[in-house]
Amino acid sequence: MPLMPKRIKFRKQQRGRLRGNATRGNYVSFGDFGLQALEPHWITARQIEAGRIAAQRFLRRQGKIYIRLFPDKPVSKKPLETRMGKGKADTDFWAARVKPGTMLFEIAGVPESLAKEAMARVAHKMPVRCRFVGRRLAV
Amino acid sequence: MSHETPTIAANQRQQVGTRYARRLRQAGRIPAVIYGHGKDPMAIEMDEKETLTQLHMGSHVINIDVDGGSVETCLVKDLQFGYLGDNVIHLDLTRVNLDEEVTVNVQLNFSGSPEASKKPGNILVFDMNELEVRCKVRDIPEEIKVDLGNMLESYNVGELTLPDGVEALTEPETSVARIQFVQEEDLDQEAAEIEGDSSPEVIGESDAKADGDGGGEESSSD
Repeated sequence: MPLMPKRIKFRKQQRGRLRGNATRGNYVSFGDFGLQALEPHWITARQIEAGRIAAQRFLRRQGKIYIRLFPDKPVSKKPLETRMGKGKADTDFWAARVKPGTMLFEIAGVPESLAKEAMARVAHKMPVRCRFVGRRLAV
Repeated sequence: MSHETPTIAANQRQQVGTRYARRLRQAGRIPAVIYGHGKDPMAIEMDEKETLTQLHMGSHVINIDVDGGSVETCLVKDLQFGYLGDNVIHLDLTRVNLDEEVTVNVQLNFSGSPEASKKPGNILVFDMNELEVRCKVRDIPEEIKVDLGNMLESYNVGELTLPDGVEALTEPETSVARIQFVQEEDLDQEAAEIEGDSSPEVIGESDAKADGDGGGEESSSD
């Protein structure tokens, strides 16, 4: 089932802007390798789900996949052939706001070559340019 | 430290700020700052390649030779990363004595694969990649070796073999690595779940509705 919040405070949201780069969630935290977004975009719950399924089918019960983004933004859409006005439409889909640098998925428990191939399959499902990254230097 | 403390040549920075730091980085240098021990902080610049090589080798303590004169023994306190979160753009170094006790994070180096992880559906999950330890500066290990060959279901911090003089600050019951069973996904069930799409509950809306219907009765919903 595509991701969405269980409880929300407000049914509809304004669109907002995606400015700047990610300052949080921009490095590999849980797994060994990750897929990092290089462009700003809204990523829908369906796209996240498609990415997850693509990786899981490829890995076949090897490795663990971490989804580092959550679609918590309701995006509304007016039905077709409707006149303008009459208020804001109902929610059409849920999206995650992604800034350049955001870690989208992480993977653990598999060799680098396998992780790279799995992430390449996930990247095909994403609406943004991505890159494959490993853990960063720590002190 | 199992090897000699590396020495890196550095120059004091006369001009500080974003613009000058950026020019340094373009020239293959890396800006840093040295502080601590009641002395004034000192802005310096070092060779990027040499510094990163030492950091990748697990060095925590570095001798900084400032302008070919004074040599400061420094502990790498913090790293600052670029906008994509991986390239080092600045170092924080703190002055230390080799007999001083410090708290540092040391990388764990895993080796061996447990029998249980070879069964189909079982995967080896690492819960931590570095361990917080307290020890004297001269005793800081580059890495802690973890042999998972004899591991059963999980490997805890208490089971780690630490070098002499090194004390783990993490609770001994904390898991370092464990075997996890991955269930096979049921695609038919997933498809059914997608069809039965639901919308989230709006906080306060159900309360308001219950208040309206019940004529001021206390709502039971949460």
